[in-house]
Amino acid sequence: MKFLIILAWKNLSRYRRRTLITAFAIAFGLGLFIWIDSMLLGMDKESERNFRWYETGSAKVILAEYEDEMTKGNLEYLIPNPAAVSALLNGQNIPHTWRAGFAAEAIVDNGSLFVRATALDPDTDSRVYRIKDAVVEGRFFIAGEFAAVLGDSVADSLDLEVGDFISLRTRTAGGFNQTLDLEVVGLVDTPNPYLDRGAVMIPLDVANEVLFLEGGVTEIALDIPATNDVAQTVAELNTVIQAAYPQLKVLSWTDLAKDFLALAEAKSSGTSMILFFVFIIAAVGISNTMLMAIFERIREIGMMRAQGMKDRQIQISFLLESAGIGLIGSLGGVILGVILNFWIIRWGIDFSTLIGDMDIGYRTTGVMYGAWNIDTIITAFFLGIFIAVVVALIPTRNAIRMKITDALRHN
Amino acid sequence: MVRLEQVSKDYKSSANHSNGDAVVVHALKKVSLEIHPGGFTSLAGPSGSGKTTMLNLIGCLDVPDQGKIFIEEELINNKNKNDLALLRRHKIGFIFQSFNLIPVLSAYENVSFALSIMNMAEKEIKQKTETILEEVGLSDMMHRRPNQLSGGQQQRVAIARALVKQPLLILADEPTANLDSKTGEGILKLMEELNEKHKSTFVFSTHDKMVMDFAHRLVLLHDGEIVGDERRK
Repeated sequence: MKFLIILAWKNLSRYRRRTLITAFAIAFGLGLFIWIDSMLLGMDKESERNFRWYETGSAKVILAEYEDEMTKGNLEYLIPNPAAVSALLNGQNIPHTWRAGFAAEAIVDNGSLFVRATALDPDTDSRVYRIKDAVVEGRFFIAGEFAAVLGDSVADSLDLEVGDFISLRTRTAGGFNQTLDLEVVGLVDTPNPYLDRGAVMIPLDVANEVLFLEGGVTEIALDIPATNDVAQTVAELNTVIQAAYPQLKVLSWTDLAKDFLALAEAKSSGTSMILFFVFIIAAVGISNTMLMAIFERIREIGMMRAQGMKDRQIQISFLLESAGIGLIGSLGGVILGVILNFWIIRWGIDFSTLIGDMDIGYRTTGVMYGAWNIDTIITAFFLGIFIAVVVALIPTRNAIRMKITDALRHN
Repeated sequence: MVRLEQVSKDYKSSANHSNGDAVVVHALKKVSLEIHPGGFTSLAGPSGSGKTTMLNLIGCLDVPDQGKIFIEEELINNKNKNDLALLRRHKIGFIFQSFNLIPVLSAYENVSFALSIMNMAEKEIKQKTETILEEVGLSDMMHRRPNQLSGGQQQRVAIARALVKQPLLILADEPTANLDSKTGEGILKLMEELNEKHKSTFVFSTHDKMVMDFAHRLVLLHDGEIVGDERRK
């Protein structure tokens, strides 16, 4: 075996340029795979975080029948007794806040825009969300104030500034038309473009008064500590809450972000496609290199067989050589991938000019950051070697099928 | 030691252009021959006479279509690929016309390779390899690669590779054909010396008169048949 390893190692240097070109092809493919995987994982993680921090919280308590009506944004489905539910949640030590979401038309002098309005409690919202930290201009409203805070993209679209007034036309809980005149007191710029592009926030007590909520809310948003298993906690909460209030339901952020998760799932198929292309690049490169190496060494193979080397030993020596190319390629790929990862994790890539206001489903800003994925790096490393060995199997098997006497005569 | 009984071997050459049929070449026709231990035998004859075919059959590189081949009274016709590989590994050394050294290995590694595949201990490999390289006059060049050696030196490495495992039989297919006459003569003298020293059995093919003159026994082949067998020394 030692001899086979030495022979394989020395044969790697026989056609140095060819070995390096093949290894480079593998390295390029694997490096690209590691990098793209990092970028997609980074987008996933950032999206998850931005969902929880700015959109869904960890989970929400809603009326069960509201689940399919949430996107419509009407105020029919109110939890009538949020204080009682709060008491239950306090008993479980779950930080939470009350909200009422509704669709509205934001009207200004020169036009209007349909928005997702949220009535929130400015005193408790920070228990779950980080929107108050994202104020970039003006200030956040206080309870009882006829004021609104807008996503900065909404303000841009409506050409509004802090101090301007906005009219929100919507329907009350009873279904009557109602218009609220509110002063824009602040603008927020969050990493969640979905919020920035469509959110108008107003105080919950003001909404309660003018939209006739009668103390009801559409949702109670929860913050489940990161140390807890969200799915398990939600299941436990459902048991507790539904025992007392069967009409209520707790949905985890994954239930609330189904579209995004479906997109992430589709992305995972995309990653498999990348992997497939990496496989093709590596397979074509390696098989071409090994075919040439074997063709040029047919007489040598004949000599080795004549000297008494078994076919299996010859095959192993070629597979080791191929594995060597795979090893160099894999090392190169991992180094390239780590360098690219470091860059994308540290500085990110600014796609904002490319994406603009386009909704790509991800809750990320135009600057996309990567994330370390050690599993992918290890997989890529061993995959490079594995592919190299697998694709060398056929040409080496063909080489040792030739009769020894024919191999010795080969020119 | 080696016995061929009524051995025949046919080859199908590429298709005849006129009718598309493969042409059958009778390379050996019911040939019988016995080679005794310690001999220095030359198989001689013109191109196509069957000498290389006979060497290949004796060397277990090919199998006969008819007849029997015995090595040390053991019939080799029915052995499988792995058994034949083991037989060649332990009992037969080969010297080729074009040396067939592995270009990425040094002279030392090219020789020790024959022992490495026998799973011999590292220390023994070293001792045997250095000794044989000294015998062929290459002890000061053992770390050179084939491209750093002359044709004669490369053939000496090939001889050392064939001899290092102390096989029963050393087969050389036109060992001087790629060398100038002076170098070729030197190689033949070396083979003769080693034959006497190690008592190894040498069988080589040639169509060169000078090479034939070195043989202790000359077997003449023509059209796949033995037409002469003379002892000279």
